[in-house]
Amino acid sequence: MSGCKQQPMELHQLLPREFSGWEAAGEGVVYDRDTLFDYIDGGAELYLAYDFRRMLACRFERDGHPAIVADVFDMGSSEEAFGVFSTERQDPEAGIGQGSEYAVGLLRFWRGRFFVSVWAEEETAATADAVRELAARIAKAIEPPGPPPQLLHLLPSEGLADTRVRYFHDHLSLNLYYFLADENILGLSERTEAVLAPYETAKGTMHLLLVRYPTAEEAGRGLEGFLAAYLPEADESGAARVESGSWVAAQGLGDVVMVAFDAPSRGQAHELLSAVREKLKEQTP
Amino acid sequence: MSKSDRGMTRRDFIRLAAYAAMGTAVGAEALAGEGPALRKRSRVVLVRDENAVTAGGEINADVIRQMMDRGVSELVGAHDPVDCWRQLVGTPKLVGIKTNAWGNLPTPAAVEQVIEQRLRDAGIAKGRIPKTDREARRKLADCDALINARPLRSHHWAGIGGCIKNYIMFAPRPGVYHPDACADLASVWSLPEAKGKTRLNILVALTPLFYGRGPHHWDPRYVWPYKGIFFSRDPVAVDALGAYLLAAKRRLELGEDKPLTPAPHIRMAEVRHHLGVADLKRIDLVKVGWEKDALI
Repeated sequence: MSGCKQQPMELHQLLPREFSGWEAAGEGVVYDRDTLFDYIDGGAELYLAYDFRRMLACRFERDGHPAIVADVFDMGSSEEAFGVFSTERQDPEAGIGQGSEYAVGLLRFWRGRFFVSVWAEEETAATADAVRELAARIAKAIEPPGPPPQLLHLLPSEGLADTRVRYFHDHLSLNLYYFLADENILGLSERTEAVLAPYETAKGTMHLLLVRYPTAEEAGRGLEGFLAAYLPEADESGAARVESGSWVAAQGLGDVVMVAFDAPSRGQAHELLSAVREKLKEQTP
Repeated sequence: MSKSDRGMTRRDFIRLAAYAAMGTAVGAEALAGEGPALRKRSRVVLVRDENAVTAGGEINADVIRQMMDRGVSELVGAHDPVDCWRQLVGTPKLVGIKTNAWGNLPTPAAVEQVIEQRLRDAGIAKGRIPKTDREARRKLADCDALINARPLRSHHWAGIGGCIKNYIMFAPRPGVYHPDACADLASVWSLPEAKGKTRLNILVALTPLFYGRGPHHWDPRYVWPYKGIFFSRDPVAVDALGAYLLAAKRRLELGEDKPLTPAPHIRMAEVRHHLGVADLKRIDLVKVGWEKDALI
């Protein structure tokens, strides 16, 4: 690994030097927002779309076994760490940190302000065990834990596929999970928080998008921009039937804009948005 | 401003899919925009062989050699593969091979070996065929002809890693091209080190990656033995077909929940940079060999 910088102690302290016969190959390398491309060219944008601060990459080796790579990302806050974890979440909970998953040699988890990936270059029985052990050691070293994003509390629970909830900020990230438009028609930015949540219905999957803007005025402009570009024929309730035969409905309340996509009926779209409004009112002092 | 310049919405894509299902050309024209430069066509050859990859994932070099010869012959339209290579590269002083060294899925050695061998057969001296990935700016800048060969895979930010993206190593600062999901990636092809030099694009789809996870964007569950290789003079056309193939595989295996990451750089390569043809309606695809589960 190249581009070595002096390592902030808090990152370095999270990794053991050795465990169960595996040894760190060197001190590891720290990357920041300017150098992350050197390590994961092309993949760096995902982390830069969040409040990524720096990361430590370290390789662990043991004779006769494939190597294991630990990547520890300091995301600045627990909300951001959850966000990065949520981007690719799909596998069963692995019981490590505040949320985790394991499959085919890759273990991903978040705890506190850290997102961590532990990855075996080849999955064997030995590397599978070692990946879990190393991840558990790192998780144990991370203190304190932290809360997930507040916006998640606005999601109605009925029908929610919670392992597929994505938390992000900008429109390029939205397009990774649910292509909406080339242009940034909702006015998303690093200053907005957004959640995309799938809901299972008898007639397929609905998607709920919640966006929290810095101000109610900006939320108003976001809703206006969305309706003009995407749903110009919307009725007074902000709903319209689209080309797929499903319904889309968009509404705003305070600094939040909520959009239901792929609803089987206008009623189901409104029902979902009403449930969000109720939760939002409960949270508003 | 055309629709393709100002961007598309999800609803536009649904409309276009409906037009396409009705057999009209409206969808494709709307996707590609208008203008005489956009009405040209490109030819792509896809060669597949059931025996190209073993059940254990090993690549069969003998079969690859046959596939490569067949692909180049179909593309150029001549029987003798050596003649075809001569027609492709002409009489350059230096022919560079831009390969791809990504650790999990590099350009297969068997593909590189056939390219080198056929270039030598076509009269290029061994010492006049530099090959590299990461050192493209240094080792390939003086070439007067280039062969562009890389595997097809999904890419977290750009949507797909294909032939257009393979030239990113000609850029002095690759990170500069990442904004807006790498939309202007094709501008790399206008750098003096690369401009106008490419004679053949080979998009290797022997074992493509159709979905990646984690910081290193790798998950062996999402590699499949497609056993194909695309050949074209047009990097945009091979990438457009590659993107279509990955999207089709994702729909098949993962459903609607994980649509292919948008790859705006392919559309922009045609609409904005005029590098080639992105519109599938104007790509003449010649399919050769194994037909099972072609998806395209």
